[in-house]
Amino acid sequence: MTVTPPPARPSLRQWRAVVLHRPHASAEAVVRQLERLGLTVRQVWPELAAEDRGADVVFFDADMAFDGMFPWEAGSAPMPLVALIGSEAPGRVEWALRHGSNAHLLKPISSAGVYSALLIAAHAFDQSRLLRETIDDLRDRLRHRPTVARAMLRLMRTEGLDEVAAMRRLRSIAQDRRITVEAAAAELASEGDADAAGR
Amino acid sequence: MRINNSAYEMPRGDRAPTSTPFPRRGSGLLVFSGPGQARQGEFGVADGRPILRIGIVFSTTGPYAALGREGLDGALMALAEINEDPSFPVRLEARLGDPGGQTDRYPAVAEHLLREEGCRHLVGGITSWSRKEMIPVIERHDGLLWYPCPYEGYEANDRVVYLGACPNQHVVPLFAHVLPRYGSAGYLVGSNYIWGWETNRIARELMSPRGEVVGERYLPLGGTDVSRIVGEIRDRRPDFVLNTLIGPSSYAFLDAYAALGRNEPAFRAEARPVVSCNLTEVELGLVGPAAVGHLATAVYFDSLRGEENARFRARVAGRFGAARRVSAFFTGAYTAVRILAESLREAGRDDPDAVLAVATGRGFETPAGLIAIDPRTHHAWHRPLLGRAAADGGFAILEAAEAPLAPDPYLIDLDLAAGATGAPPGETPPSRPTLRVIR
Repeated sequence: MTVTPPPARPSLRQWRAVVLHRPHASAEAVVRQLERLGLTVRQVWPELAAEDRGADVVFFDADMAFDGMFPWEAGSAPMPLVALIGSEAPGRVEWALRHGSNAHLLKPISSAGVYSALLIAAHAFDQSRLLRETIDDLRDRLRHRPTVARAMLRLMRTEGLDEVAAMRRLRSIAQDRRITVEAAAAELASEGDADAAGR
Repeated sequence: MRINNSAYEMPRGDRAPTSTPFPRRGSGLLVFSGPGQARQGEFGVADGRPILRIGIVFSTTGPYAALGREGLDGALMALAEINEDPSFPVRLEARLGDPGGQTDRYPAVAEHLLREEGCRHLVGGITSWSRKEMIPVIERHDGLLWYPCPYEGYEANDRVVYLGACPNQHVVPLFAHVLPRYGSAGYLVGSNYIWGWETNRIARELMSPRGEVVGERYLPLGGTDVSRIVGEIRDRRPDFVLNTLIGPSSYAFLDAYAALGRNEPAFRAEARPVVSCNLTEVELGLVGPAAVGHLATAVYFDSLRGEENARFRARVAGRFGAARRVSAFFTGAYTAVRILAESLREAGRDDPDAVLAVATGRGFETPAGLIAIDPRTHHAWHRPLLGRAAADGGFAILEAAEAPLAPDPYLIDLDLAAGATGAPPGETPPSRPTLRVIR
């Protein structure tokens, strides 16, 4: 799968950001830049509040971060995360990665970097969500492969089709009924089972 | 220009200068602190006034030397006026740096001025590329850069004051004029660096609702091989051409486009204009008749009416001769030095943060009228003008915004449907000046 093209310039005026960091010059710099970009910003420490689940982006202090500071399981943040990294110790970087950081900024933070980190994190987050959905979908289809095989066998038997024609027939049934091939196959296969049971 | 910014107002007027805490001349109390240390009249005293050095960085040689000379002339004229005015308690001494238009030399020049020459304030840079090269040096030395030129936006650095127009004050109003009048099929041509790339990207965004980009080409800085571009324009017949070329590239392009227009009337300026955010009186002087009839936006034109500009032009004539026409690059640098000096006077010291607090806290008179610097983004409010290049080397002003526009360097409030920026009614604008101004 290829990387999707970056989205159009997001309209940041509607965005809400949370900066999860103790009071510090680097945190102030991030807040200042985000406000310049038009976002509504809240600085909190040491934990996110329930209301922050609805934020569009979270910048967090990777130096002082601890398990339990996010109200969600590690790696399942509902928004893009940007790690603010001071000490580049492997343990700290690992923590940030485990929690699903989509981008990072190195401290000390001055006027530059926030805008590109924001855009990169948002894109990486969208990209990884899209990949996850695609993988879930593929897994689901993989799981239904035996059902598809059974449905095809039934079509070949009952309608006297070869493999290629049976697949084409299955696709057109799915298309006509606006359901997936797998769903159509499941119905056909269960009809086949019922026939067999009634015979 | 139908760009209404009346939802919020720019700070107006000058604060009364009488209560300045600045010590009297010769009192010996005047303290101008250098990086990390206090110093008193370190660079000597002239006319009983301590000398303060400011760094002026313009490339007066190299590919965009004409603009560099324009900026330098503007900065030095302001400096001379300040030094002739006894109400200023310091004498400014210019320390000049000429990186020769070579981007890689800007950091070394800035470093020299800040560290060896003891400057804390630098005025200059024409290209964004050069500004971005100088910023890390300025940050390291806690200096302040006064950048005087229009640029493509997407920056708001704590150590920079942006005195030129940003995109909501140039390309956005330019397109608001051009698209409905000439059509929405545009051809984009630019110099191969951030100014052209990003201004053209904004142009694409502005054209996205109903326009079409029929071509986009770039030339290296200083490049003059424009024949392929002009050939493509002839084939694709855009409604207009957005020109973000700089220096000799731009002059070569305008010459070749004028030749095309002589052969095929469909490409004359009145039918298919070249429009630009950086075509100035400097170019008109160099290109001559080839530029006539084309359109440009700027926050200052030499032909601007009004008493303030009349007085300013008389002073320009006194220094440079009656034939001298000046551009927004001249007034940008002139204004940078004026605001710096007035802020120094009011702050009573040269500490960049103290100077910045004054500079972003009130309005300043300029040749183009009153402007203010937004304390949040450090960008200036400006009244965009739209001009048509005339045969006399100046611009006939076709439109002017009703009032100064708040800067929107990140185009946060760009409304593509309206083709203009401005906070919707009732919404708090991003850049409402927080300090009140008393007249």
